[in-house]
This record gives sequence, C-alpha cells and structure tokens, in this order.
Amino acid sequence: MPLAGLLQPLLSQLNSGVVLLDAELKLVFINQFIARRADLQPEDVKGKSLFEVFSDLPQAWLQRKLHGVLSLQVPAFSSWEQRQYIFKLPHLRPLSSDSAYMAQNCSMLPLTAADTGERYICILVEDATDAYVYQQQLQHSVARLQLANRTDGLTGVFNRSYWQQQLGYEIQRAERYQHPLSLLLFDLDKFKQLNDHYGHLGGDAVLIEVARLVAALLRDTDLLGRYGGEEFGIILPETDLTGAMQVAQRLCSAVAAHRVAFEQQQLLATISLGVTGFTSGLSSDQLIQQADEALYSAKRQGRNQAVAWRDSQSVYLKKVK
Amino acid sequence: MALTVLICDDSLLARNQLKKALPADFDASIVTATNGLEALAVLQSQEIGLVFLDLTMPELDGVGVLEAIKAQQLDCLVIVVSADIQPEMQKRVMELGALAFIQKPANADKLAAVLHKYGLI
Amino acid sequence: MTTLHFTEEQRDCLQELVNVAMGQASDKLARYLETMVHLQVPAIKLVDTQQLPEHFAKRYQQQSVSLISLGFFGDQGLRGETIMLYQLANVGVLAKLLGYSDDDSSEDEMLTDISSVLTTTFLNGLAEQLDNSFSYAAPRILSSRDEHFADKLAATAQQWQLALQVDIRYQLTDYSFHCDMILLIPGEAVLRLRQMLDQILADF
Repeated sequence: MPLAGLLQPLLSQLNSGVVLLDAELKLVFINQFIARRADLQPEDVKGKSLFEVFSDLPQAWLQRKLHGVLSLQVPAFSSWEQRQYIFKLPHLRPLSSDSAYMAQNCSMLPLTAADTGERYICILVEDATDAYVYQQQLQHSVARLQLANRTDGLTGVFNRSYWQQQLGYEIQRAERYQHPLSLLLFDLDKFKQLNDHYGHLGGDAVLIEVARLVAALLRDTDLLGRYGGEEFGIILPETDLTGAMQVAQRLCSAVAAHRVAFEQQQLLATISLGVTGFTSGLSSDQLIQQADEALYSAKRQGRNQAVAWRDSQSVYLKKVK
Repeated sequence: MALTVLICDDSLLARNQLKKALPADFDASIVTATNGLEALAVLQSQEIGLVFLDLTMPELDGVGVLEAIKAQQLDCLVIVVSADIQPEMQKRVMELGALAFIQKPANADKLAAVLHKYGLI
Repeated sequence: MTTLHFTEEQRDCLQELVNVAMGQASDKLARYLETMVHLQVPAIKLVDTQQLPEHFAKRYQQQSVSLISLGFFGDQGLRGETIMLYQLANVGVLAKLLGYSDDDSSEDEMLTDISSVLTTTFLNGLAEQLDNSFSYAAPRILSSRDEHFADKLAATAQQWQLALQVDIRYQLTDYSFHCDMILLIPGEAVLRLRQMLDQILADF
C-alpha cells in the first residue's frame, strides 16, 4: 500500500507540529516541524520522557490534561488566547511581533494502535502567531482609541464627559466605604482679557501650561478634567475638606508664581478655586453646584484665592441673584 | 407453566430491544410498564416471575421499585437493565436484592449469559 | 419547517440513546473524579432555535452565565455544535475535583477544559450508539460571566435549524453541579440523524 510509505514524508512536510507520546508520556515521535524549531534530532528523543526533553513545559497542568485524555479517551485542547504556548518554540515572524515565542493552538488526541490496541496521545501544535500579533495590534488600537475618547484635545487632561463619569464612580465609592472625597473647581482669572490681549493662541498657551503645572502637583489618584472653556475640575479621593483646601492653596500660589512663555513674552496668570467636601447623599450635580458656588465666592472676593463651600453661601447667592 | 415477565422501561426502544434480545426458546408471556408506579401496580395485581427493570425513569425510578419490592416482600426476581453503570450504583441495586445488572443497550448475548447463569434457560 | 419534525418513536429512540450515552459519560467521570456521580434522566427536547435565548434568559433571570461552544463532525454528514451554559459559582468545586488550582490556570482555561470533558465524554457515547465517531473542534468561549448572554446565544443559535435541548444535572456525592447543554444541529444533519434513528427502530 503506497500510503504507508507516504506517511513519513507527509508528516515531515506538515506545517503543524506532531508529538506522539505513549501512555507513560515518553516520546514516540516528533515531526520535522517540532524537531527543527526545537533544534532536536527525532532519533535522539525517542523513548525519552516528554518533560525531560522539553524542560520548559507547564508540567503539573499538562500532566493533568494528558491524564484526562488517557483515562477518559477524549481530546483536550489549549488555545493561545488562554495560554500563549505550551512548547517554547521560536516563530518565523520575529520582526513584526513583540512576542519571542510561537503562539499555539494545541490539540491532545487519544489514539489507539490498530494492531496492538495500545494507547497513545498525539499532540498537534498549530502556529497561531499571526492571530496573536493581529490581536495585539487590535488591542493597542482599542487602547489608543479609549484614551483619545476620554482626553481633552487641547490640554491632554480628561475631557468633561469622562471626568464627570469618574466623579459618579468616586461618589459611589465614597458612599459605600464611608471614605472622604473632595471636589475642586478652578477657573483662570480674567481669561477673556488674556485672549483679547494676546489672541487665542496666547490663551491656549496659558491653558496648556496651567493644566500641565496643576497636573504635576497632583497625586496619581487625583483626577483632573477640563470642565469648560477655562474651567477645570479636580476629584480628590480619600481627601477631606481641610486637605483639599491645602491642595487648593498650593495650586493657587504655584500658578501665580509661574510665568508662561509665549512669543518671547512672559505671561502672568492666576486662578480662583472653589472647594467642597462630599457628604453622604449628595449627587454629583449637587457636589459640582457647591464647588461652583464656592468658586463664585472666590471670584467675588477678589480672585487669585481658594474658598471652601459653606452652607450660608448659597443663601447669600440667592439673595444677590 | 409459562413464566410471566415484566419489562419496565420508559423508553419504547429499550423495551423493544429487550424483547428482541430474549432467547427464541424462552417460554414466557410478556407484560410491560413505562415507569416505576405502573410496574408496582402490575406486580401487585398478577404473579410476575421475573422483572427487567430500568433505573432512570420518571414518576418512580428503579431504585424506588426495588425498595418497594423489598418492603412489600413481593416474590419476584429482578434483573436491572440500565445505562447508569457506575460501580456504586451497581452495588446499591445488588444490595436492594437485584439478581443481576445488565448494561444498556441490552443485547441477546448479555441476556443469554445472565439467564443461563441463574438457570432461567 | 415541518420536514424537521421528529415522530414520537424517533424522539423516544433518541432519548434512549442520549440516556445510554449519558450513563457512559458519568461512569467515566465518576472513575476519573473518584466520586459518585448521580445521574438524572436528561429530558431532551427538540426546540426551535429561535426560542432558545428566551428560554434560557428566563431560566437564569439576569444572572451572569458563561457560554462555551464546541463543534463536532461525524461520518455520514452528522455534525453540529454543543453549547454549555454555566453559572460560574457552580464550577468551583468541580474545578477543584479536576485538580485545578488558581495559580496554574485562568478561569477561562478552566471553563473550556471542563466543557470539553463533559461534552466529549457524552458525545463519544452518543456517536458509539449511532455506529459513528466524532472529531472535535477546540472549545470556544462565546461569552463569560455575562448577564446579557441571551443575545450571544441568539447570534449563535440562529445559524442552526434545530436545537436539541438536554438538561444535564450531574450530582456529585456531596455537591450538586448543574449545567445545561444544548445540541445544535443543521437541517441536513437532522435528516441524516432521522435516517439513523429509523434504521435503529427498524431493527426492533
């Protein structure tokens, strides 16, 4: 029968790995696909333990799978999506991939020899590096898109919708764990004059520079967002009103002391800040409203300062309105 | 006097498989039941020499039938014919008084072997 | 699609084949897990694939469910896809029995492994009853811990003409594990399956 003579050449040409094991998990056969990539001679490994020849295998896990294949006589599978590879082998696209090893789909199949009835396992190894690389690229693109979706184009801080969404989450968290949380709104003083005097490019330069300066003074867990034209918001988790006022004063003096370079000139800018602390039961809109009222007081009291929200302010504001 | 045999299984196919698998020279009249409750009704109303009993059935399962036979001291031989072939289950039905256990699907060879062993043919 | 109907005799025949296959599967599992697996009659139902999502949405009532799919191919044009539905809370003890620990496998890997063991032991038994043998595709996670799993189920089910709904309840000695299995079979394979059932019925 010609088939028997063709099987070996077929197996050696096959673009998938074939590893044949006996019931003691000793190697019976490996094809060229595996041998060349692992730099082994098929003749040398015959009769040796699988785990001795391939010492990098996830032994406990793989043994359990192979035991299942033998005793239940059902196939087992491993996908690159859950486990990138079983056999640590190089792949043929080293330049286009950030992974050093071949991503693999493996099937572990129960086999019974037709003549002797003895049981074997065949591990089929398919190269899934292309799919792996493609998915990695996709993930990078998605991450970039997500970042773009929540970033303010001009200043690079969070945009309003993302920032407000985060405020909602932080309020839920503060409520659930009874942790302190503060909110800070600030506004560039006399921004309209700045724009009129230096043009929109000058105004933009100040916005970018102030956002950068403020961001550098915050903790990693604080969330800075651009709330409107020249208005910004800062969510300060795990911070009570006293702590938030200290932050506000620090930001106020830092901005006032800074000079923004624009077309060989040094621009001066100041900010006014409104600060409020979260108390149980407040919605994010109410919290923003309070910070806004405090900010209004800061402006009214002469700008370049921070004011904490007090209940009486709203009473006062209603009167003047 | 010919033996009366009860075949109890919820599946028509299984009942037919069993009838067909009985030896050609087996001299018996056959009645059937499709669940455990029906089987008990038959056992209480007429003399049954031998029961072929499935285990997984609606209404009352085979284990329930064996328990009732034991409790009511009904006089019949029971051969369990089931797909539930775990050693634990086999042990349990034998403890409840079953004569033998045949793994489904029933066929002529398996049946003849059991009937022969207990001198029924 | 009246042509895909099963007669009561065909349905009864298939039910019995499923019973036997299930018995073999649980025997194998019991030996493998070294624990007694109590088997309940798996009621099989032939259902319109369009009814499936609603049925299971109702059964699980917005709880989060994982769906794992596994395709199979047999001789004589018999082929299809099985879908297992689990609630993850149910899987933990089974995973421990199978020897999994948190550090050597991800949750997804555990889910696909368990699904493939449960479905292939059963399908191998079914194939044997039909004088057939199946080969299998690797299991795929269609959705994981998902409250809106019914939409994913609908998207998969609509590609098939017939669904065979098998409610499997594997009760282990001191732990009850429950999952659902759906066998999805394309129209032409349903015709083949009916021919096979008729052949078995003609023998008896």
